[in-house]
Amino acid sequence: MAMIPKVAWRNIWRQRVRSSIVILSIALGIWAGIFLVSFSYGMNDQRTQSALMTSITHLQIHDPGFEKDNHPSFYIKDTGGIRSVLDTSTLVQNYTTRILLNGMVSSPVSASGVRIMGIDPRMEAATTIIEEDLRTGDWFTSEKKNRILIGRKLAEKLHLDVKSKLVLTFQDDQNNIVAGAFRVEGIFKTSNSRYDESTVYVRKQDLESILGWPQGRIHEFAIVLKDREQADPMKQVLKEEFPKMTIRTWKEISPELGYADEVMAQMLVLFIGIIMLALSFGIINNMLMAVLERKKELGTLMAVGMNRRKVFKMIVLETIFLGLAGAPIGMLLGSLTVRITSRTGIDIGFLGQGLESLGISTVVYPEIPSYFYWLIGSMVVLMTLLASIYPARKALKLNPIEAIRSI
Amino acid sequence: MKMILILAWRNLWRNKRRSLITISSVFFAVFFAVLMRAFQLGSYQNMVDNIVGSYTGYVQIHHKGFWEEQTLENSMEYTDDLKNEVLSIDGVTGISPRLESFALISSGEQTKGTAIIGIDPEKELERMDLKGRLTSGVIFSKDDPGLMIGEGLAEYFKVEVGDSLVLLGQGYHGISANGLYPIAGILKFANPELNKSIVFMPLSEAQYLYGAMGRLTSLTLQIDENTDFRDVVRKANAELDTSRYEVMGWEELLPELKQTIEADSAGGQIYLFVLYFIISFGLFGTVLMMTAERRHEFGILVAIGMKRRILAAITMVEALMMTILGALAGGLAILPIQIYFKMNPIHLLGEAGKALEEYGFEPIMPTSTDPTITLSHLGIVAFVALLCSLYAVVSIYKLNPMKAMRS
Repeated sequence: MAMIPKVAWRNIWRQRVRSSIVILSIALGIWAGIFLVSFSYGMNDQRTQSALMTSITHLQIHDPGFEKDNHPSFYIKDTGGIRSVLDTSTLVQNYTTRILLNGMVSSPVSASGVRIMGIDPRMEAATTIIEEDLRTGDWFTSEKKNRILIGRKLAEKLHLDVKSKLVLTFQDDQNNIVAGAFRVEGIFKTSNSRYDESTVYVRKQDLESILGWPQGRIHEFAIVLKDREQADPMKQVLKEEFPKMTIRTWKEISPELGYADEVMAQMLVLFIGIIMLALSFGIINNMLMAVLERKKELGTLMAVGMNRRKVFKMIVLETIFLGLAGAPIGMLLGSLTVRITSRTGIDIGFLGQGLESLGISTVVYPEIPSYFYWLIGSMVVLMTLLASIYPARKALKLNPIEAIRSI
Repeated sequence: MKMILILAWRNLWRNKRRSLITISSVFFAVFFAVLMRAFQLGSYQNMVDNIVGSYTGYVQIHHKGFWEEQTLENSMEYTDDLKNEVLSIDGVTGISPRLESFALISSGEQTKGTAIIGIDPEKELERMDLKGRLTSGVIFSKDDPGLMIGEGLAEYFKVEVGDSLVLLGQGYHGISANGLYPIAGILKFANPELNKSIVFMPLSEAQYLYGAMGRLTSLTLQIDENTDFRDVVRKANAELDTSRYEVMGWEELLPELKQTIEADSAGGQIYLFVLYFIISFGLFGTVLMMTAERRHEFGILVAIGMKRRILAAITMVEALMMTILGALAGGLAILPIQIYFKMNPIHLLGEAGKALEEYGFEPIMPTSTDPTITLSHLGIVAFVALLCSLYAVVSIYKLNPMKAMRS
């Protein structure tokens, strides 16, 4: 019985060119699958990450009243307690505190409604990536009071530039309308132009003095975790410590980002499906060629008494051997590609202007969960096996006499 | 030359099976490349239809300079001449006139700034699906002084049908534009931004409020489904007085949508690269095997005095014939599938699909039936196929007839 595997094994090495073509196409298929998954995975992850890191972050804490009404009087009472928990938690990478106000910004030309973010420039820069989105001007380097950062879209709308003056008007916690004159220190552009149009950044202490607030009164904790998938467990921890606060994860704040992931995943399945189909037809073709060109040889084997079942078995076994030889090569190539490109990144900027002008980085860093290697590897080997059945069945139908006579 | 053609044609059918395998490689290459791209471009088309079709429109006409500075001073007169000229353009099936300007709305203690849009309800009925969006009240008639507002806005002001809102704004030439209007209907928009901000008013009433009798800020064109909006833009530019009017297509009106699509398309092209990589390898494998199998034959031909040049020419012509047959068959075979999935698009599943629906996107992946996709990929595949068959030519020139005949 061990004879058939032996014959199959020898057959593979008897025809080096033919075998290496099949082995290579299997390896390439696995490589392509691994590469595509890691590429899309990486691109998606970056997209989500950059969307979150602009300002949403992974977890936010507010007073429950603020969540409903956005009224400035709903500031967080127990900031000290929350700080001490965040400072000692191992899940937290960084966090920032903000005063949030809804107001109006007026220039000599026009006026526009905005959300005013009162921030601590040092904490904000350490937590989010908004400082990197600054296109002109500086990040609160001037010691002077009342400096403001605005988005490019807002700057265009109100005809403002660095050093222009503008007036911020908003409601304080006693419902009085208060105002302050600010000078533009910098202009940012994020991937979200809506955000650029409707958000301005000022220093927290400037707002404190306009509002007449004591130092350290805030509306929001924005927390970045080491791993964003830990948002739910971290929320539970905070919820137990501070049951009265409203704590929301990024998935609750911005559900569309989670859905975007899911939509991408479904499209990916379709595209990888198409590629796998293309690959399996390639393999079927190659196998068909490989088997049918051996007409004479198979005919001779049958003529000297090898029965059809054994011929079938031999061909399927050959394919399994080819698959088993190709799979490790493909997996190795794939993991090498991922390992190298995840460090160097792949610049797809040449493919379209869109990415750059959207403010999304054009460099993609592929990454892949390790179980995908096995998933894709076994999928391709399975497909190869299926691909061998048709040519093997074809071989069964050979008429030995005719087959021997053919050239 | 004729001889080469005849020989090549006969060679092709002498070993039908082998030729069919090669032809099918080309066939599947075209088939899958077009399938992949058709799905990609189809989803973009769906995205554009959803966003552009329902509100912005594919083409808009404004007074020159309006888009740069959107004020009533840049509005235009709605003359019969303009109307007739626009309607006479090929592919334009209808027009919706709009007058849009900013105002403060208030009710009780609450105030909010938003755009008031004067529309002709009959012209927008179908485009915006006003009936389908109505959650309570009625759709106002042409000269009925009432408002239709977004559901989110109604919740913000805590108002219902029958309540009134105060509008405060600035009209044409700086006159004050104030009024009290009852709410006739409440509309539900899937897009949360629109839902929170939309306020519609009958066009004539808006013109009266803003003191802009007979004036419009934009004229949105309805376009026949099979007409390219770029053609309409071109024709409109030729017809209209471009020193008075500006004609803009959606790509100019919504540059960010275009950029998003371009960015996504860059990722899609990576998939295509990988697909082509696999396709090329499959093709190359087939050619490689075919050449190996024909070594004996080539050896005999060269030995009996056939010029290598002619032999090479014959194999190239064979390759060309097989490529053309395969590519044509592939292009024809994909067509019904393209059409099928355009008519019966793939539905996105789960939460993601539902979420997309809530945001006003149809959660589907249709295909595009744009014939340029097939044509361009036919070209690429043909090029790759011919490149692969150069291998056969090279091996003919390198052939040692003695060795080849003995193999």
